[in-house]
Amino acid sequence: MHTKNDDPAVGGGRPPSRSKPAGLRSRQLTAHVLVAAWAVLALLAASAQQTLPVARWLAVHLFLLGAATTAIVVWSEHFAVAVLHAPLPDRRWSNARLVGVNAGAVSVLTGVWADLPVLTGAGCALLITAVTAHLVVLVRIGRRALGGRLAPIADYYRAAAAAMVIGAALGWIVATGKAGPGHSTGLELAHVHVMLLGWIGLPVLGTLFMLWPTVLGVRMAEHTARLARRVLALTGGGLAIAVAGLAAGWRPAAVLGIALYAAGVAGAVQLFARTVRTVRNRPAISPAAAWTLAAATGWLVLGVVVDLGLLVARPLSEMRDDIGSLVAVLLVGLVAQVLMGALIYLLPVVLAGGPRERAALRAVLERGWAPRLVVLNTGVALLALPLPGPVGTTGALLAGAAGAAFLAPVVGVLVRSGRDLLRAPERAGASRRPVLWGTAAGAVVTVLAVLVANSGGDPSGGARAAGPAGPVRATTRTVAVTLADLRIRPARIEVAAGTVLRLEVTNTNAQRHDLKVEDGPATPMLAKGSTRVLDLGPVTGNRRAWCTLPGHRAAGMTLDILVEGDAATDSSGHGGHTSAAADRGGPDLSADFSAGWRSRDADLAPAPGATVHQVELHAAHTTVEVAPGVKQQMWTFGGTAPGPTLHGRVGDVFEVTLVNDDPSMGHGIDFHAGSLAPDRPMRTIRPGERLVYRFRAEKAGAWLYHCSTAPMLQHMGNGMYGAVIIDPPGLAKVDRSYVLVSSELYLGTPGSTAQVTKMRQNAPDAWVFNGVANQYAKQPLKAKVAERVRFWVVAAGPSDGIAFHVVGTVFDTVYKEGGYLLTPDQPGGAQVLDLATAQGGFVEATFREAGHYAFVDHDMRHAESGAHGMVEVSD
Amino acid sequence: MDTVGWWSLVRFAHVAGAALWVGGQLALSLVVLPLARRLLDPEAKDRFTAAAGRRFGMLTGAVFLPVQLATGWAMAWHKGVTWASLAEPGYGRTLTTKLALFVVVMLAAAGHGIAHAKGRVELARALAVVSLVGSFGVVLLATALPAT
Repeated sequence: MHTKNDDPAVGGGRPPSRSKPAGLRSRQLTAHVLVAAWAVLALLAASAQQTLPVARWLAVHLFLLGAATTAIVVWSEHFAVAVLHAPLPDRRWSNARLVGVNAGAVSVLTGVWADLPVLTGAGCALLITAVTAHLVVLVRIGRRALGGRLAPIADYYRAAAAAMVIGAALGWIVATGKAGPGHSTGLELAHVHVMLLGWIGLPVLGTLFMLWPTVLGVRMAEHTARLARRVLALTGGGLAIAVAGLAAGWRPAAVLGIALYAAGVAGAVQLFARTVRTVRNRPAISPAAAWTLAAATGWLVLGVVVDLGLLVARPLSEMRDDIGSLVAVLLVGLVAQVLMGALIYLLPVVLAGGPRERAALRAVLERGWAPRLVVLNTGVALLALPLPGPVGTTGALLAGAAGAAFLAPVVGVLVRSGRDLLRAPERAGASRRPVLWGTAAGAVVTVLAVLVANSGGDPSGGARAAGPAGPVRATTRTVAVTLADLRIRPARIEVAAGTVLRLEVTNTNAQRHDLKVEDGPATPMLAKGSTRVLDLGPVTGNRRAWCTLPGHRAAGMTLDILVEGDAATDSSGHGGHTSAAADRGGPDLSADFSAGWRSRDADLAPAPGATVHQVELHAAHTTVEVAPGVKQQMWTFGGTAPGPTLHGRVGDVFEVTLVNDDPSMGHGIDFHAGSLAPDRPMRTIRPGERLVYRFRAEKAGAWLYHCSTAPMLQHMGNGMYGAVIIDPPGLAKVDRSYVLVSSELYLGTPGSTAQVTKMRQNAPDAWVFNGVANQYAKQPLKAKVAERVRFWVVAAGPSDGIAFHVVGTVFDTVYKEGGYLLTPDQPGGAQVLDLATAQGGFVEATFREAGHYAFVDHDMRHAESGAHGMVEVSD
Repeated sequence: MDTVGWWSLVRFAHVAGAALWVGGQLALSLVVLPLARRLLDPEAKDRFTAAAGRRFGMLTGAVFLPVQLATGWAMAWHKGVTWASLAEPGYGRTLTTKLALFVVVMLAAAGHGIAHAKGRVELARALAVVSLVGSFGVVLLATALPAT
């Protein structure tokens, strides 16, 4: 009816569920559905490794933190109950622990992926809580139970749980970058070791003591329990020493610890080998499981030996890359394979309702096991060998294929069992609690919604300090670093705290150089033209990097990575995401404007036919993208800075209605083009009020208008200016007419001390044409060959004038401040229209050939800081 | 400009409607239904809860939903929301997810009614909880939006 060797807890023990009530089966079913789901996600993440930089971390943790952890929690409880002959723990609390572990895993994974340290922290806390509860339960059931001769095996699970708690805490520190440059490598290594060798390695070893003889179909050796105790002392103790040593950066302790661990593993393997020899004529219960488990154990041994070798041979700071590949190998070779081997045997045992069903399920899982085994192990071997890239990729593909080939029948088995359970008269659903499921579903949907709502980076309105500013949103920055002759360019990189920094290091010098980051990764010696990428992870403290060749560092071949101090005063209003050029504090003008941005149309609309122009101008605050990727709150007339351009002829009347839509301050307006008593028309009106400003443009010129409210430096500095173009009588027709209002740009919260200081010191962040830095460089003005183009220019300031120059052409007409300085009939030409603050005029030029003609403020500081545009001349 | 102006009244109607919806659900789940289960005979309890649910559902459909939709639409129009701006990060996306979550809540509420009609009590209860938790999520996102 029920063979003796069916349940691994053989040897005088009552198996936990002989009759397997549907509730228990459904619980096992759910747990394994979770495991399978995590494994599928891990495979998907692994396949996306080329495109997503975080995919590798995701793949590793989806599998280990998701699939493997769930399996270990479920099975260690199951086996602990079995070996201790204990009563089953409360089902609801078991479920709660499982949910807690999974929720914690989801939280950690999402937190790292979406870069939300709060979520990562919450997830780690949840994991620690759930696993501690798991540990407490494991200890308690031992105390209450009679215990069997295999009771020492339960200690493996307890030690593993303790390891997990330590590992989760270490992971938390590493993931949030709190370790600081001195310790991060050591803590990361400690995390990897305690998790792989402790949380996963110890339960594997412990369970194998029981599972190995079971799948082989032989009796357990007499001294198994005694040996198990000894092995645990060696492995557990060794691991503790090793982890402490790694965390403290003390290599000898790490070597000793891993050596002890290896000794323990060796002892266990010796027993397993001897057990094989006792298999005589009887075939193994499950050769598939046996061989898979054997292969997994082989990789464990190999992994531990290689790890020991690395620790002996290399200093800790250089181990990171090698550990990375070792983790990959162990992940597939040990963890995935041990899971496969165990599940081939155990899944039918727990899911089937009777011996015939069990055999059927096992047959499904074992189908094609031999080729699958070979493919998987070949793949892992290819991954392990230090061969060129494509070999490793092939290995990964093979391993992935084998994994998928196992997942498919597992999913089939789970579906089949699920259907059987639902058909069973005792509805497994009776144990489900609708309130719990409903709350969980609602919470998941809400969390997803909040994540999507917050996605997309900095929302508009960056100048207004957003309410609860959480931790700085770390971005990934890749900086191209060039190794030149005894110099590193750039010599300084400034990053915001927490930024994930990647250095793309290229050697452009004939001599070989390398780059080593202080307490971090290093490139090998690079020949001329070679490139390497270094991943520094989140940068939380200042670090240095240098070339390790003798004398090079002393000669000055160093790179400083500096963490920007809390630049709240300086960068508020930047939108928080400007990547400052290494040397300047201004906006990054080489970046791209946001998607969908359009430059301001610089065409001068023809003067309306009427002689009375009625205009309504609204004074308000508007958020404008004033430089690539930089949004700033501007004070505007008509929603733009500069405000709308008015155009008319001599003698025209302008009736301007000013409406103050600004709820927080008063504004006024001053039109230079009109002559009238300022008392009433240029007065300041309160929010919501309006005034009518009527003036007659009696004289021609390019006139400035601006806000007349004190302090005018700030009102103008924040964008309240514009142009009024009054054509001189008899103005010749031209093919194109553009209006460019030049001004300074001051970033920051308008009215803040920092910003006003910049205005006072005449230290703007950029000089601009028509309000936006470099906008016509990104979206050039257009002209055709041989067309005559007129540029109206008004220098709005508030402090600087302009030396307007167009590269590649000569002005044959210059009109400045009401008079022609130069007309086409004269032999001379002009290169610059020089305007003092608030002056205006126009120049005309023709373009001889097709090409790109830049126009600039020829004060080069201004030109290189945004007063730069382009005319694209085509045939 | 008055502080209690027309648009603040629109906002008031929207918030009051939300308060009634969430408050009504809470009152039912935390006060009315537990007492009904405890104090009434099973048959009377079934009739009472069915009637209560139907009445609440009717109020939702006839009063709550139109008022929320109308006032919500008006506020969005007043704020200058366009279809394109709904995808933009910040206000647009928050509003979009709030709307999506609201749809989920309404579907869950409708599903709750249907499940009860079909006699699937547990599913109905789960959906009711989903609706309640989701409603809190909607309020969470709404409070994240700046006042219109």
